[in-house]
Amino acid sequence: MEKEICIEFRNVSKSYKELLALDNISFSIQKGDIFGYIGPNGAGKTTTIKILVGLIKNYQGKVYIYGKDIAKNNQDMHKLIGYHPQEANFQEWRTVDHAFKTFGRLSELDSKRLESRIQDILKLTNLSDVRYKKIAYLSGGMFQKLRLGQALLHEPEILVLDEPLSGLDPSSRFQFKEIIKKLAKSGITILFSSHILSDVQDIANQIGILNKGKIMKIGSPEELQSSFHIGNIIEIIVAKNTPLCEDLAELSEVEFIKKPDEFKQVIHLKSDINLDLSISKILNRVMECNCKIRHFNLVKPSLEDVYLKYVGGETN
Amino acid sequence: MSLILLFLDELKGFAKSKVMIVLWFGLPILSFLIQFINPAELEGMPISFLVSLVVSSIGGTLSVIMLSTSIVNEKNRHVYELFLVRPVRRSSILIAKYLAVYLCLVIAISISLTVGLIFDAFTGDLIENYLDITFESLITGVSSMSITCSIGIFIGVLISSVPVAAILSVYLGSQLSSIIILPTFFIPDLNTELLALTLGISLTIIMMGMNILLFNRKQF
Repeated sequence: MEKEICIEFRNVSKSYKELLALDNISFSIQKGDIFGYIGPNGAGKTTTIKILVGLIKNYQGKVYIYGKDIAKNNQDMHKLIGYHPQEANFQEWRTVDHAFKTFGRLSELDSKRLESRIQDILKLTNLSDVRYKKIAYLSGGMFQKLRLGQALLHEPEILVLDEPLSGLDPSSRFQFKEIIKKLAKSGITILFSSHILSDVQDIANQIGILNKGKIMKIGSPEELQSSFHIGNIIEIIVAKNTPLCEDLAELSEVEFIKKPDEFKQVIHLKSDINLDLSISKILNRVMECNCKIRHFNLVKPSLEDVYLKYVGGETN
Repeated sequence: MSLILLFLDELKGFAKSKVMIVLWFGLPILSFLIQFINPAELEGMPISFLVSLVVSSIGGTLSVIMLSTSIVNEKNRHVYELFLVRPVRRSSILIAKYLAVYLCLVIAISISLTVGLIFDAFTGDLIENYLDITFESLITGVSSMSITCSIGIFIGVLISSVPVAAILSVYLGSQLSSIIILPTFFIPDLNTELLALTLGISLTIIMMGMNILLFNRKQF
């Protein structure tokens, strides 16, 4: 069954004087999806996000949330969306508690609900120990969690995260990803931008690749990977100080073989073959050669391959 | 609703960042220091009158600097993004800032003046003639401060560098404080207090309207 469309961009363009930041982009995100929005710096990710959260109002095209034009229903949209900005800061005199209280009240939460939400968020983000600490003294990881926390105060149905994992150490990044996954399980629709491909692959079930203001490709990680054909490639690694199977080149299915090092073979198969039969044939031949196999793998294109194809090597 | 919340929040910010303490204690201390450093020059002048002079001369500059630099700083640090994704009007942010700074300064003046009057009452320097001039000077000071507050916001909204905003504030703050009394130089029979109040209120409303228009067009 097709899920409800939660966010829809229809022919959206945005220019900053001479610079075309978004060039007629159209895409939709279904309810409950985790949509990873990737692209190099300056691709237009933050502009897209700022249009969605209502910070940029002057643009061409339409943006809909649950079928309603956000330009005409601005006040309602504030209640639906929680926004974790990439750069925004808090006034330094605030404590974590004070920041949550101010932004909770501004999100129109009554005192009772606000206190219970603060408790929930402190628990979710592990910020309970620093509740009364000044924001100026928080670590980078805690600061990002605070940004996430303020976005969640009013229990939004849509969470928009702009580069939420940038600048985090590996352990904070892991914690943050776990929080995002937990939130997604609770039914929140999440749009997050990133240029760290492994993070996007870990979290997102839908990915949009943006380059120079244009959507280059959209799909699930599997769809994106299968859309990128690299041919049939098998990788074999044998135990150290044991020989590789030299007879494989004789097989009719094999086009050519590369040897990156003395224990590894990368076998490129012909395109018009039965892959399953060919794999078992190769495996049999390797066994006959008495090779001590450590690794046998049918190589699939990585998200990085797909990304590089569409952004033309403009990685960060 | 959001205006009251933001106004109280600004006041809390001033309290927590010690701005209030510096203002509320700084102004009276400054007035007393001037009195005691230059006793010969200021002989016979009640301290309450001196307070009103100090307020008129530095109140405007203080208000412009406080507002312009805090707005530029918050703009550069993207502080407003977190407010504007909530049901908060852009105008409320500016009006709350204006009211908070103005109130803080008015309280600082009131404290300074009360302390001055008490001091004068004890020393016997409370002269009726001086009280009238003190009152007139205060009305002028408070009115011009209202205009300079709105000019501080104007600089804050337009400029994106803190040092430039601070320099412009110093240049404009003290000059614009005197704008309010300019007509009295040309028309001698004008009621100074009434003129100050009228100009103060009307120019502030015009400036704030312009500030809100500019802030609404700003992209965050």
